[in-house]
Amino acid sequence: MRRGLMGWDPQELPKSALHERLSRLQAAMARENIDAMLFYTNLVRPSAVCWLTGFTPYWIESLLLVHRTGAPILATALSKRVSEWIKSTSWLEEIVNTPRPGMAIGERLKADGCQRVGVLELDALPAGSYDDLGAAAPGVEFVDASKLFAECRRIIDTTERKLIEHADAITCAALDCVDVAQARDAGALLGLIEKHARLAGAEESYMAVAPNLDADRRLIRVSGASPLAARFAVRTSVAYKGNWVRRTRTFARDSAHMQALGRADAWLTGFASSVAAGVPLTEQLAASLKALPGAELKSWMAESSIGSYPLEVVTSSRHRGADELSHGSFVVLSVELVIEGMPWLGAVPAFVESVRQHL
Amino acid sequence: MIHDDRKKRLLGAMAEAGIDMLLIYGNAWQADYLRYTTDYSIVEGQALALVRGDGHVTLYLDSHLESDRAEIDCPGLEIVLAHDLVGEVDRALDRFRNQRIGAAPARLLPRRLAKRAQDLQLADQTAFLDRLLMRKMESEIAVLRRAAKLADEGYAVFRDAARPGRADYELIAEIECFFRANGVHHNFQIIGVGGPEVRGMAPPSGRRLKRGDMVTTELTPCVDGYYAQICRTLVVGAASAEQRNAHALWLQSMEAGIAVVRDGVTAADIARAENDVFRQHGLGEYTTSEYTRVRGHGLGLFVDTKPHILEDVTTRIDEGMTLVVHPNTYHPVVGYMVLGDSLVVTKTGCEVLTATPRELFSVAG
Repeated sequence: MRRGLMGWDPQELPKSALHERLSRLQAAMARENIDAMLFYTNLVRPSAVCWLTGFTPYWIESLLLVHRTGAPILATALSKRVSEWIKSTSWLEEIVNTPRPGMAIGERLKADGCQRVGVLELDALPAGSYDDLGAAAPGVEFVDASKLFAECRRIIDTTERKLIEHADAITCAALDCVDVAQARDAGALLGLIEKHARLAGAEESYMAVAPNLDADRRLIRVSGASPLAARFAVRTSVAYKGNWVRRTRTFARDSAHMQALGRADAWLTGFASSVAAGVPLTEQLAASLKALPGAELKSWMAESSIGSYPLEVVTSSRHRGADELSHGSFVVLSVELVIEGMPWLGAVPAFVESVRQHL
Repeated sequence: MIHDDRKKRLLGAMAEAGIDMLLIYGNAWQADYLRYTTDYSIVEGQALALVRGDGHVTLYLDSHLESDRAEIDCPGLEIVLAHDLVGEVDRALDRFRNQRIGAAPARLLPRRLAKRAQDLQLADQTAFLDRLLMRKMESEIAVLRRAAKLADEGYAVFRDAARPGRADYELIAEIECFFRANGVHHNFQIIGVGGPEVRGMAPPSGRRLKRGDMVTTELTPCVDGYYAQICRTLVVGAASAEQRNAHALWLQSMEAGIAVVRDGVTAADIARAENDVFRQHGLGEYTTSEYTRVRGHGLGLFVDTKPHILEDVTTRIDEGMTLVVHPNTYHPVVGYMVLGDSLVVTKTGCEVLTATPRELFSVAG
């Protein structure tokens, strides 16, 4: 559950930005002849609803209804007593508190005469909600509208960019607290990093560690006393007001290795600042790595928020999705290298700002 | 190994119920069915698992990060990274057309899979798993005892962190640091800060503590998947007479609820005992859904597991169930107040697991 700072600051997330996003979605709905859109949200799948309204449920589930015109309506299983809290964290004027959000939204669809309703990630909609929708609005045709939403969602606006940058600043500062010479216990170290992130206003923080990078490069959750080897990596995922960022850093105690790791860190930072739209990421990585002698690419991944997940893989060395990133989008790039014979993991956020036709 | 105990019990129950395979859904919010059947604790994305009667488990995850971790945390499972989670499991189910498949929790199953209930022999077996989840084995209770001890220690950290000028989220940051260093992966916690204007608890809003504020919290550390909960109220500075009187009522109510807990009573019996105290003091209105959600609930692999302690819930309370009894609600003079302890039900009563004194605490104002 979310247990960090949650609240709506109109300076950070102005209504005008939310209006603009909503208008973009409603225009797309009109083009596709969709009467209304439905968005399921819970703490694992909060991002679409948060993008439209600022609302993230700290637990339990809700459904957001967006008509072709007018403001969104939230039906939530959170109790009526929590409505004021919801309003304090988001731009939501109409909230229906009900143990069965699907039933309440279905009744609304029927009353409003909606016939064709788009659903974000229709196949994954929980059966309970779907059954309630169908029972309350038997004549409505539900269609998957994930592509429609992704097209509206892909471009990062100035408001979102600032929030992402704030989340990233929290993440960087939290990782900067690592004293590699002193760090011996993974549980204590992750606790310290998480504390820094939460003190800085993180809404949520997920921590993972590869405690002995030479033995295993996969990152795990650790709590409690657990030894850290001479080379280890930490991944910190932080949400600030619903905007998620990840960073992974590799740490080494010996100075010789720190130098090589520093070169890899600098390379990834530089690469992230020059990621371009219109060219497959694989090609961009291969070309860029020529500037990092002694490095061998082992795996890579690009994550973005295009649906209900805060971050989901859009393309990776294990799953080739949309290999060419979109201009104006935001991604988290994760890369695994071997540099001078040593394992190295890194992840950084990147805004895809330039368009290149050729490398 | 606790997972071995669960697995043995699960497979035995499946055989007895004539279930060939279970289709289990899980995410970080509703993780209990997945954890019980696979031992995997998911953080990001969603998971589906096929748990066969012969003990073979295939765990489908849609997150690269999760599938990497699952390979390490659960080496006995077949892990499948499925970018198209629902589609992949949909196709996998074709191989089990002539088998009796149970699904849980059915209401959260992706609708594309739930739609195949008739095409496959797919039945809702949520209640089947709920029975296993509610009544704990001794190895599960042992873990809950550890979680309760950490709840007590966590509350001490919380109290130490509470002082005027600090923001609510800073208190939680201190606790999370303590928990990560002490074997707690996750914690469910909500908080309230203020006076009569506070009508419930929620995540931190940035409110800073000041003299006279009541600070309420529900602290719920998770150890090896199992949640134990403690609810306490503290006052910044000296408590007023009204706050002390209200707390005395809450204490009487909680102790009345705990006093009736034993094998064979119902959830309603416990709730009624708690609420009768409020009614005797003319505050019966504040036991309704207008002011409070539940008067306690089950604890285990989900923080808010069945049964809910309410006067209209007739679920039988069995030996081995673990509950929190908490008459948390609004008081018209002092605001929202909480008090609650975790316990395990025994044949003749209960064993209270949390040990923090049942006081209205004060911190220097």
